[in-house]
Amino acid sequence: MHMRINARAALLAALLLAALLPIVWTVLASLGIVPDNAASPPTWRGAASLDEYTDTIGVAEPRFVGELATSVGVALFATLLVIACAFLGAYGLARWRWRGATVVVPSMLVLGSLPVVAYVVPLAETVRRLGLTDTLVGVGLAQAAGAAPLAVYILHGYLANLPVELEDAARLDGAGLPSIVGRIVLPAIGPAVVATAVVIFVLQWNSFLVPLVLGSENIRTIPVAMSDFFTFERELTWPTAAAALVSSLLPLVVLIAAANTLLQRFRLAEADPV
Amino acid sequence: MTGPALRTSALLAPLVVLVVPFLVWPAVFGLVASFTSYTPLETRAQFVGLDNYAAILSDPQFVIASRNVLVFTATGVAAELVLGFAIAYLLRQPFQGRALVRIALLVPWLVSPVANGVLWHFLLTPSIGPLDYARGWAGLPIGPSPLGVSGLALPAAIAIDVWRKAPLVGFLVLPAMLAIPRERWETATLEGARLADRVRVVALPPLVPLLLTIGMLLVGDGLGVFDSLLTLTGGGPGSETITPGLYAYQQAFRVNDWRLGATAGWLVAASVLVIGAAYVRATRVFVRDAYAH
Repeated sequence: MHMRINARAALLAALLLAALLPIVWTVLASLGIVPDNAASPPTWRGAASLDEYTDTIGVAEPRFVGELATSVGVALFATLLVIACAFLGAYGLARWRWRGATVVVPSMLVLGSLPVVAYVVPLAETVRRLGLTDTLVGVGLAQAAGAAPLAVYILHGYLANLPVELEDAARLDGAGLPSIVGRIVLPAIGPAVVATAVVIFVLQWNSFLVPLVLGSENIRTIPVAMSDFFTFERELTWPTAAAALVSSLLPLVVLIAAANTLLQRFRLAEADPV
Repeated sequence: MTGPALRTSALLAPLVVLVVPFLVWPAVFGLVASFTSYTPLETRAQFVGLDNYAAILSDPQFVIASRNVLVFTATGVAAELVLGFAIAYLLRQPFQGRALVRIALLVPWLVSPVANGVLWHFLLTPSIGPLDYARGWAGLPIGPSPLGVSGLALPAAIAIDVWRKAPLVGFLVLPAMLAIPRERWETATLEGARLADRVRVVALPPLVPLLLTIGMLLVGDGLGVFDSLLTLTGGGPGSETITPGLYAYQQAFRVNDWRLGATAGWLVAASVLVIGAAYVRATRVFVRDAYAH
């Protein structure tokens, strides 16, 4: 029995190492610590410093602070929109006593699986005709539309598993929809909604194709800047790139750490049929 | 309309107002446009039948891209599901720090696809990466980056995709694995079930619907792969890692051939929707079976 537990622990440790070593390697490089693999045996050189960060942010990418603000703005706007629309829609679907719902809900997941590249060319044309190209609203709406069906699927999974008796009783007492949602539904699944919002925020923050195609001078998010930076900086060194990578990753790591307790409850599950 | 129907419509309205103009309409517009001579610059679009499809299917680049993406998606998604399942299985029994491990599984996925391409471009650079560091210690000569080697670039791109997504699959599968009643594991142990039996009989059956859902998301992501390859290989060496996603982007926004770009995009959409139709059918079967029991 001990052997088996040890084998399990060793396997887990190996998998975790494989998952996290590339990140650790990058963090070290961003601090100026890089290996010299040509030496035999390989050695490490460099002393820890934050020079790469001041160089990346100050010199190589002077617009970094603006891009950070744009990324936060677009991702927040899109996430709030997604959660608001998806929560109402998922609640409607979950309390809809109709057989068609068994097709509509998995279809939402399919719609949410549709990659942006499948429709980005006509999307760019649609947004241009609406006069929303290179605006926060245009980019935010397009990003939100891409993620909303997935959020409907996730939130429907939580809502469909809630017992409806309390809601029915409140309705008989004459409570309206807003008060039922506010007093019964949200208190029950509020943490799950916030966990879903965190996951959607990560997707929005990392979204690339929509801001690349629909944004330009005004709306330049971090992934777009990262792609340009990598494509056009011929002399880009690994420590500089590593500092840029860590800078773009850090806000999400902080978010995930802060939302740790909520995320432990995150589930991607369709309603358990009763 | 009766009261409940009216209420449902009102609840669904904001979602419809968001998704129809910015997702459904562009997809439908792309489908219609693929049968016409429409481009944003042309005022009078004409019906051209299958001309756009003939043009794209006779482009060797697109044929190679389609083959690449099928290999990328089939092997990548299979590996991600198997590894993710294995991670969740390993985390099944409680231990100190399991919650921390579960949250750490999210970290590779937090790296955006664009950043992931940059990250691995450097990590696979011989003089500075961890793989060649290990090779150096093993006394092996350091080799060139697999991303530039013919025959290795696509497998390397697949492995990198698996690195980013398999831990996420583990994160998503774990709660369902933990929801399996304790008695089932105990019964299996009493009956002397081996590992393969425990997986096949106890763990897998209740997880199939979830694995199908995760598989659907991964397939959509795989068939549309674009941003991670843009910074990782740019489609190279040669055309070895070009995909329909990269092809559509380059045609529409670099070569300015709107028709080919939109048609390539629509073919990606069609492939996802075909798999999606099979997925919806499969979930209905599960719902029906569950009600029958």
